Amino acid sequence: MSRYVFEAVHVLDFSWVGVGPIVTKYLADNGAEVIRIESAARPDVLRIAPPWKDGLPGINHSQFFASFNTSKKSVTLDLNQPKARELALRLVPWADVIGESFTPKAMRKWGMDYEQLKKIKPELIMFSTCMQGQTGPNAMYPGFGQLAAALSGFYYISGYGPSDPPSPPYGAYSDFVAPRLLGAAVIAALDYRRRTGKGQYIDMSQYEAALHNLAPAIIDYFATGRVLGPHGNRSQRFAPHGAYRCRDEEGAERWIAIAVAGDQEWRAMLAVLGDPACDSKFATVAGRLAHFEALDECVSRLVSDREAGALTTELQAAGVAAYPVQNCMDLHQDENLEAFGFWNWLEHKEMGHCVYEGLQHRMSRTPGELRSAGPVLGQHTDEVLTGMLGLSAAEIEQLRNERVVF
Amino acid sequence: MTCELLKGFRMLDLADEKGALCGKLITDLGADVIKVEPPGGCSTRNIPPFLEDQPGPDRSLYFLAYAAGKRSVTLNLESPDGRALLADLARKSDFLVESYPLGYLDSIGLGYEALSKLNPRLVYTSITPFGDRGPGKDYKAEDIVTWAAGGMMYLMGEEGKPPLEMALPQAGLHAGGEAAIASLIAHYSRQSDGLGQRVAVNMQACIVWTLMNEQAMPILHGDHLERTGVYTGGLGARKKMVYQCRDGYISSVVGGGASTKALVDWLAEAGFAADWMKQKDWSFWTPGLFMKATEKDLQEIEELEDCIQRFFNTMTKREIYDNALKRRLLLAPVASVTDIAADVQLKARNFLVSVPCDTLGRTLTMPGPFAKLSETPLDPPRRAPRLGEHNQEVLGDWLGLSADRLKQLRNSGAI
Repeated sequence: MSRYVFEAVHVLDFSWVGVGPIVTKYLADNGAEVIRIESAARPDVLRIAPPWKDGLPGINHSQFFASFNTSKKSVTLDLNQPKARELALRLVPWADVIGESFTPKAMRKWGMDYEQLKKIKPELIMFSTCMQGQTGPNAMYPGFGQLAAALSGFYYISGYGPSDPPSPPYGAYSDFVAPRLLGAAVIAALDYRRRTGKGQYIDMSQYEAALHNLAPAIIDYFATGRVLGPHGNRSQRFAPHGAYRCRDEEGAERWIAIAVAGDQEWRAMLAVLGDPACDSKFATVAGRLAHFEALDECVSRLVSDREAGALTTELQAAGVAAYPVQNCMDLHQDENLEAFGFWNWLEHKEMGHCVYEGLQHRMSRTPGELRSAGPVLGQHTDEVLTGMLGLSAAEIEQLRNERVVF
Repeated sequence: MTCELLKGFRMLDLADEKGALCGKLITDLGADVIKVEPPGGCSTRNIPPFLEDQPGPDRSLYFLAYAAGKRSVTLNLESPDGRALLADLARKSDFLVESYPLGYLDSIGLGYEALSKLNPRLVYTSITPFGDRGPGKDYKAEDIVTWAAGGMMYLMGEEGKPPLEMALPQAGLHAGGEAAIASLIAHYSRQSDGLGQRVAVNMQACIVWTLMNEQAMPILHGDHLERTGVYTGGLGARKKMVYQCRDGYISSVVGGGASTKALVDWLAEAGFAADWMKQKDWSFWTPGLFMKATEKDLQEIEELEDCIQRFFNTMTKREIYDNALKRRLLLAPVASVTDIAADVQLKARNFLVSVPCDTLGRTLTMPGPFAKLSETPLDPPRRAPRLGEHNQEVLGDWLGLSADRLKQLRNSGAI
C-alpha cells in the first residue's frame, strides 16, 4: 500500500492564482508530484500579494502563495520563449494531469492547448479553468474571483436590504467554490483513465461552477420570476436568526451568531438569557417570524451584557445553535480548529516557520497532509531540468543567461 | 446516458443541508445516489422558500436544486428493521455520506466501525460542524453559525452594523463540496487496494478556507481586517469595490495597470476624466496592492473613484458590462438572477437547462453540468425524487425483497 493516495500521479501545472493551484494542491497534499511552471517575467500575482512574512513584501515572502501551493515544486520557464516551450513540451510525456488557468488564447498561442498536447500523450487529462469557460462570446473575459463572485450573483444577495448597497463576501469568493468541483472531476477522470486508459479535456467556467451555489434562486426565477435579493440575516425558518452584539472585550466589539429553530429552543434560550417570560408575541414561531425586527432588538438587549464565548457554551448546553462571530485573530485561538489539527506550522525556504491552513477533512487510512511549504520561485528548476530532462549545469546556466529560465 | 466516471457506483446519502451538495455532485459524475430519508421525509424538503410559496414535500427550492437526480428510499432508522435494511444497503454500496450529530449513527449500530465490517470497501464520509474532537464536537450549528465560526461573517457588512450572511446560506454547500472531493480521494485509493475508509469533513474549516488566506494577517502583519461594506482595505488604502449605476451596481476596483488605463481612456472619451488622469502612467500604479498607499495615492484613488462613480451614474449595468468586455476592463455587473438568466455567455454554452418535473407537472430550469468533459460528459440534472419513490426499485432490486416483504415493512413503519 502506498503512503499517499496520489503517490504515482504526476501533474504539470501551468495554472496560477486561485482555482487551478487549489485543485492541484488537493492532488499534491495527497502525494502527487506537482510541478508548477512559473514565469519569472510575469509571476503569479499571489507571489507578490500580502500577507507577507513580517509584513515585508517580496517575491518569496507571500504566505498567500505559499499556502495555495503546499507540497509542490516550482520551475521557472518563460513560456513566451520558444526554448522554454520546448522544455515544457519535453515534460508532457511524464504528466498524467496538466492544468492551466489563463484566458483561453494563451495555451493556443504557445501551441500547448489540449489538441496539441494529446498528440504527445493521448491519455493525458488536461483541465482549463478561466472565468467564463473556453467557448462562447465572453470566453476572453479577463478577471479573478472577486469579479466572478459579482457576476454569479453573490454580491447581489449580500446586504442589509433591497435599498442598501451590497455587502460583498470577502475576497475572491468563487475561487473557493470552483476548486472542489473541478478537483472532484479531475480525480474521477484519473480513476476512469486507470480503468480504461482514456484521458480527456475538462473545461471549467468558474462562473458556471459558482452558480451551483445559487441554484435554488435560479430555479425560482425561471419558475416564478422572483428575484432573490439581500435581506440581512432574516430567515424564513429560524427566529431569532442573526448576529447579536455582546459585551465588548479589550476594546473590540464582540458578536454572537444565534439560530433558533422551534419553540422549545426559544424557551431554552430565554432560560439562559434570564428572561423566561419575555414578550408573549414571540411565543410562537409564527409570531417570532412576523415580528423579526422587534425580536432582534429584544435578543440584542438580552445578550448585550453577556460575554460571547461563555454565552456560546451556555446556549449550546441548552441545545441552541450559537457561536461567537470570529475574526481572524479568534480563529487562531479557536479550540475546535485546534482540536481538529487545522493549523500546521511548516518551514518555508525564505519565510521560515509559518502557519498554514491544513486540510478541511481527515481520512482515517490514507490521510493527506501538507507535505512541504510552498516553494520559492524556481526552487526546483535545476532539480527538474537536470534530473528529468538531463540538462547539464552549463546548459542550465546558458538558459539562465538567455532568460529562458530564472 | 449515464456519465461513465462513476457509472455503476452507489452512494447512500444521509446528509441534510450540511452536505446535500455532496450527493448532487456525485450524481453529476454518474453514480446512483440513494437519498435515505426518514418516513416523514428529509428535513431539506422543508426548507423554504417553496415553489410558488406553496409548501409541500416536493416544492422546496433547496430540495429541488440539491436532490436533483438522486433516488429516494425511506427507512425508519429508529426501528430495528429499518436499521437492518440500511446495513444491507451499505453492503452493496460504495459511498455513504451523512451529517447526523456526532455519534448518532454509532449509537444505533450504523457507524463506520459497524458498516466497514460488513463492507470493507465502503467510503464513509461524515460532515460535522466543528470536527469530531474539540469541545464543540456536539455543538448544534445552523448554517449562519458555522459561517460565523469560520470567520466569513465577521467580514461581511458595514462598520457599526451587524455582520452578515448571504440571503442564500452557503456554509453547507462548502461542506458538501468538500465532502465530494474528499470522498473521491478515498475512492481513488479504494479502487486500487479495495479498502474504504472514514472521511471526516469539518464545516468550520471549510469556511476558514474561503477567507483567501486572510487568516494569516494577524500572525504576519499583527493586524486583522474589519467589516468595510463596499470598500476593500489593507495596506493603508481604502478602495471601492462597488459603484452605483442607473439600474443597480457594478463591481470594480481601481488596481492600476492595463485595466485602469483602459478605464481612464473610456472616462476621457466620455469627458469624465481629469487632466492628470489622462497624463498619468498607470502601469505601475498599484497602491495598497503590493505596497503601502501614500497620501498622494489616497487622493488619486478618491478622485478617480469619484469620476468613475459620476460616469457610471449615467449608464446601465448592461451598457457598462458590454463596454468592459470590449475594452477588457476588470469589471463585473453585480448580477441578479435576472441578469444571469439573460446572459449571452451562459446561453452560448447551454449552461442553464430545462428539467422536466412530472412531480410538479412542469419543467424547471437549473444549472447544468459544473464542467464540460470531452470523454465522459457529466450528467445533466434530472428532477428530485418523491419521498420513497424508489423503495420498491432499490429495496427490491438490490436486496431482493419480495413485494410481500416490502408490504410488511411498510405496515410495520420500517419504510
